[in-house]
Amino acid sequence: MKNLKLLLIAAFSSFLFLAGCEDYLNVNDDPNNPTSAPAQGLLSNVTYETAQNTYRMGSVTSYYVQYLASPNSGSSTDTQEALSFNTQWFRLYDNLTDLSDLELLAEEEGATQLVGVAKILKAYNLGTLVDAWGDVPYSEAFFGETLNPSYDDQENLYNEIFTLLEDGIDQLQEENSTITAGDEDFIYGGETARWEQLGYMLQARYLNHLSEDASYDPEAVLSAIDNGFVANDDDAQVEYFEDQVNPWASVAIDNAGLILGGWLSEQTVEHLDGTTYGVEDPRIGFLMNTNDDGEYAGVENGAGRGTAPAAGAFSVLTTDTYYAGRTAPVLIATYAEQKFIEAEAALNATQPARAYQAYLDGIEAHMDKIGVDETDKNAYLTDPAVAVGEAGLTIDLIMKEKYTAMFLHPEAWVDARRYDYGYENMTVPANLNSDLNGEFIRRLVYPDSEEQRNVNTPDVSLLDRIFWDQ
Amino acid sequence: MRKLLQLNFLLLFGFIILCFTGQALAQGVVSGTVTDADSYETLIGVNVLINELELGMPTDADGQFEFSNVPAGEYQLEARYVGFNTVERSITVEDGQETVVDIEMTVSTAELDELVVTSFGLEQERKALGYSVQEISSENLTIGNQSNVVSALGGKVSGVQVTNTGGSPGSSSRIVIRGINSLDPGADNQPLFVVDGVPIDNSTIESTGTPRNMSNRAADLNPNDIESVNVLKGAAATALYGVRAANGAVIVTTKGGQAGDTQINYTSTVGFDRVNKFPEFQDVYGQGFEFQNTPADGFWPNWGPRYEDTDAEYHDIWRDATQTGVQLDNSINISGGNEMATYYASVSNLQQEGVLPYGDWDRTSVRLSGDVAPRENFRVRSSINYVNSGGMRVLADRFMESMMYWSPNADVTDFEKEDGTMRGYYNDGSSGNNPIYQAKYWTYEDNVNRVIGNVTFDYNPAEWFNVLYTLGADFYSDQRTEIIPGPRGIEGENVVSSTGAIEETRINSRDINSTLNLTFQRDITERINTRLRVGNDIFDRDFNNVISSGNDFVTPLFYHLSNVRNISLNQQIRQRRLVGVYGDLLIDYDNFLYVNLTGRNDWSSTLPEDNRSFFYPSVSVGFSFSDIMDLPEYFTFGKLRASLSQVGKDAPVYSTSDTYNTPPQYPLDGRVGFTRSNIRGSEDLKPEQTTSLELGTDLRFFDNRLGVDFTWYQSNSKDQIFAVPISEATGYSEIITNAGEIENKGFEIQLTGRPVQMQDFAWDVTVNYSRNQSTVVEVAEGIEQILVGSSFGYVGSGASIQLTEGDPYGNIYGRSYERYYPEGEEPENPMYLDEDAPLLIGDDGFPVTNTDQLVLGNTQPDWIGSINNSFSYRNLNFSFLIDAKWGQDVYSQYDNFFTAFGITENTLDREDFRVFEGVTADGEPNTQEVWLGQGIGPDGVDYGAGYHRNVKRTVTEEFVFDASYIKLRNIRLAYSLPQNLISDIGFRNITLSATATNIILYTPFEGFDPESRAGGAGSNADGFTNLDYPGVSSFFFSVNLSL
Repeated sequence: MKNLKLLLIAAFSSFLFLAGCEDYLNVNDDPNNPTSAPAQGLLSNVTYETAQNTYRMGSVTSYYVQYLASPNSGSSTDTQEALSFNTQWFRLYDNLTDLSDLELLAEEEGATQLVGVAKILKAYNLGTLVDAWGDVPYSEAFFGETLNPSYDDQENLYNEIFTLLEDGIDQLQEENSTITAGDEDFIYGGETARWEQLGYMLQARYLNHLSEDASYDPEAVLSAIDNGFVANDDDAQVEYFEDQVNPWASVAIDNAGLILGGWLSEQTVEHLDGTTYGVEDPRIGFLMNTNDDGEYAGVENGAGRGTAPAAGAFSVLTTDTYYAGRTAPVLIATYAEQKFIEAEAALNATQPARAYQAYLDGIEAHMDKIGVDETDKNAYLTDPAVAVGEAGLTIDLIMKEKYTAMFLHPEAWVDARRYDYGYENMTVPANLNSDLNGEFIRRLVYPDSEEQRNVNTPDVSLLDRIFWDQ
Repeated sequence: MRKLLQLNFLLLFGFIILCFTGQALAQGVVSGTVTDADSYETLIGVNVLINELELGMPTDADGQFEFSNVPAGEYQLEARYVGFNTVERSITVEDGQETVVDIEMTVSTAELDELVVTSFGLEQERKALGYSVQEISSENLTIGNQSNVVSALGGKVSGVQVTNTGGSPGSSSRIVIRGINSLDPGADNQPLFVVDGVPIDNSTIESTGTPRNMSNRAADLNPNDIESVNVLKGAAATALYGVRAANGAVIVTTKGGQAGDTQINYTSTVGFDRVNKFPEFQDVYGQGFEFQNTPADGFWPNWGPRYEDTDAEYHDIWRDATQTGVQLDNSINISGGNEMATYYASVSNLQQEGVLPYGDWDRTSVRLSGDVAPRENFRVRSSINYVNSGGMRVLADRFMESMMYWSPNADVTDFEKEDGTMRGYYNDGSSGNNPIYQAKYWTYEDNVNRVIGNVTFDYNPAEWFNVLYTLGADFYSDQRTEIIPGPRGIEGENVVSSTGAIEETRINSRDINSTLNLTFQRDITERINTRLRVGNDIFDRDFNNVISSGNDFVTPLFYHLSNVRNISLNQQIRQRRLVGVYGDLLIDYDNFLYVNLTGRNDWSSTLPEDNRSFFYPSVSVGFSFSDIMDLPEYFTFGKLRASLSQVGKDAPVYSTSDTYNTPPQYPLDGRVGFTRSNIRGSEDLKPEQTTSLELGTDLRFFDNRLGVDFTWYQSNSKDQIFAVPISEATGYSEIITNAGEIENKGFEIQLTGRPVQMQDFAWDVTVNYSRNQSTVVEVAEGIEQILVGSSFGYVGSGASIQLTEGDPYGNIYGRSYERYYPEGEEPENPMYLDEDAPLLIGDDGFPVTNTDQLVLGNTQPDWIGSINNSFSYRNLNFSFLIDAKWGQDVYSQYDNFFTAFGITENTLDREDFRVFEGVTADGEPNTQEVWLGQGIGPDGVDYGAGYHRNVKRTVTEEFVFDASYIKLRNIRLAYSLPQNLISDIGFRNITLSATATNIILYTPFEGFDPESRAGGAGSNADGFTNLDYPGVSSFFFSVNLSL
């Protein structure tokens, strides 16, 4: 009988249990992921992802500016089809979202340094977005307030970039930040002064994008540069790790394993090997390998490798080259780039002496960066084709050298468009997308993911130009 | 001898049983003959029992029985025979007398009053049901010797689709009842598995990366332990189970002991697996490209010169690389007991090798169950089942991909050099991955230890009141180790991986279920009987999975987490709790009209607090019109059924809030990064709702010799909870919300018949046929399609399964050949491939590719059906099950690769000229002749990599095939040794049988077994072959001994 009593008690307590079941059921807080993140943790990811995004955009634009070419004939990136770059778009927004969270969190906590860093990186990621897609969602973005965020005008977004940079610099100049970054910062290891320099360097870059716009002010570019980088050591970059290799190194490793990619374009090979300019650039061997015959050889964009084998016939990125080394840095903004911006702005501001010196300094800085030895460097810098003198300096020469210095960087595509793809011997690829009517691509179309999910997505054509491209 | 054996077995299991043997001085003899009351023919093998004495024997070939030395007294004599009504007679035995009892048995119509097992393992009269339930008996379940209980259900139940994921040992099988109910590509659409009233875990946890055909957890059950399986198909049948059985339920009842003699059963089976179908491989062209083997023996395996023009030898590498898989299954059980207590104990061991070398799977199961009645109105039942399962899982996809590249010029079985490194097929063996070497050294082993236990208290305080309480637990740990060997450090070696890697997985899962049922019965009037059941049900799951991965071994050949340069960790914890209360009222009017009302309220931990409580009702009616109508004599029984029911469904865990997470690259150099989750949780999720209507009828004719069961149903699932993709500019890429609707409509027919019944011969037929149509009624606002899954194909020729509003579920999308339409004409539906329109032929004379994604096929079958025939002649039984699935399409990645690498016979046209049928851009028929080979053709034109690589392999349309099939699911011949032979040596029964399974009778599909699907049972992307495990047919020889 005792058993039965027990059983009945168990039975009824089972019902009574329902009364207390609210607590019992409160187990839906995700134990795997926190509902908030530490500012330092966000900082690590936004600095790392900024480098990744630079690579991701570069992996597209490098085909448009013909650094790289596909080994396959008619490859759609080579031939400038209207492709949907979902990943690039998504990752830029993902990072801008985390930057917005970091900015808010740092503001709440009085961490002015982190507010400054967040604003400057926001400017960079937003700039990358606008330079590829023009109008994009921003003022209604990042916090899920609306499922169909509206599109902001690209010129307004440029103003936002300048505001972000200015405010960011201001914040960095504040003292007594409650949190200061250290190793969590993959770019500068928490050095506030360098972040400030980057703020000015980016000001110079985005002001200089306006070279074809009425608002262009080369003096403003130059004054920003005065507060910018002073040496290669100031470069904004993320160095990679043996267990997390450089993304271009992954391309090179895959290519070695016959998942083809990272093949050099004929345009770039000829740019460097003396074919186009009569002087072999000593940097060529730092950017690519030679083929089995010991020669540099590039694939014509859009044409493919023909009947050549999958390896050995053409120059490719390898882990022995500078940009695709396993632990090589991805360069976000460099002193060399700043020098070429300075050269261009000074030339436009009719300061030829400053322009020429900046031009030479830019070449030298880039050569030092990638490890060209002094002899080769000086030989190149004194070659008559390069050392043209103050009077001989042209925008063509600056853009030619900047093209080399910006290898694989998405900024090269901004230059190409501002410069109307005016590089020596640059022609549209074989099998060019017929919708382009023989012209070069001017922007990206909105990715399918966005077009399908946001009713506000505008209709655009690949020939529509970004506002600074006139 | 028999006692000795018994004793041995008893000791083996650790049992101590007291054997009672009655001894009396006064004795008599009881004998008689058993005949069929209709035909007056004698019946063989009828079980005749004197229960009081625990005596029993079967009738002999003449239908006779005889018990000698029966103590004088009064007894109940019982005769039992399958298909006949049990007969009981009171007899009196007198000293020294022979009592003759002749018995006539009538064909059973008992099936009408038969009890079927429904929710919570509760038995209910079939007659009273307002919905369809189908039962599979133990014999029917084990007839094909399938080691996985899910595959064993294949072809046996109407409306149930079982898909085997290839012939890999221990691989998962997928079961879907009446179509897919969820739009969420990640949702589990499989039914709940319930064993002895307690739900168990049947999830399939695939390996990370490419799936390796891991087991669905129900594969841990030993089919020999199963007494019966009942399949509850519709929402009405599962109304009491609620949320967890929203996709139906499979109710498994295990064997228990019977009062009487101790019974011992031993079954031993040896089986042989072979690949049941190979594609047609070409043996004409060997290694090289453009018909040249230069540079000698390079990468390209099959585009070279003809073998007849070279010294190279062709190897049949596909048959060489596969083997005959052997399996051994030994199972023994002992059962028995008395009026007070019964027990059942079993031990079984299965060992299985795959047809791909170095793959195997073992399962050892120990089961003990007992039923004790300490007093007349109180019973306690309990069972515990320990299972150890697991094995070496060959990565079939990798194996087959390496097969694709391997040239038949080289011997694929010569895979290992003396120094232990891999021998490739080109560059003198220094390049090219060997599939067998990788299978041998790139290993993935799982080891599952599982305990499933339950205890049930069954108490009847009064005739009208019953209390039933069941507590069950299902606990398992699954320990997995993957090793990718790194370099051995030998100069110039051909490595599997340049770094090597190790992955250790530790899964711990714990389910607890508590169920309380109170049942009240009351006869309101003589005609109206009622039964009310109220219950409470609690489910509690705790799941924890830790994966540690390391790569880059420091010391070669030492595979341990301490020996790697990089380590990363991942942990997944999941907790889910569910509390339900339900009521079930059955009103029975004069045994012909049954009305059943149910209601259940659930509280789920996965829903937001305000919405976590939800209620859903059902009503069903069963009407046996034959009981009140005058029907012709041949019309034995007729019943109509109708039910309308609702069931709610909760959300996946942790869908209600936003989180931050750590991307996989961290920790990176001591730093841990965080990013906001891309999935936005929702605090106002409400439960999903499925409404089902089911109508059916159950008709029996000619004394049950013919039965027809027909069911029509429609079920609509609304407010589906899934992650809807949203603009990434919002800061998220998906938001979890209630959206969309999916509809399933169909019918099921089940015919049972015994066309022939003679003295020694019976022929039984069962036919199952069903159609189901799944339609995506509505997708979430603002999205056009939901991606269920995709499969790779070269140069953009991959395929995807997408759900589009208004379309059937399971459409396959991909690239096609451009069709020609005269100006002003358009295809009827621009989203669907218009196969009838002529191909557009380009200026180069080849068909033009349309890169738009069009619907090329559908993964869901038009119908599924099966016919089972069973013939019994004396001691011989012959049966076969033919099973068909019709109209489903698959994307064959195999064929995409076969085309890309010139492997199969359909690439033998590579030296032919062809004028492609179609029209040119100006609408004129194409007349341009082109060559299908590589390089410069005989016509002087450079064809580059040739038609197969440049054109055919780039078009998905070429690789979407009709995968209909008709299969001999199993065919079996069994012979039971005559009683008089074996009873002398103490056996009750000895049966020998030979079985063959999974033999393809017809299919238009050209590849391996059309049934095999990639992705495992947990994947809803059921239309892709990928390069997964080929199907096998098996041949079994089995012996069953009973004493």
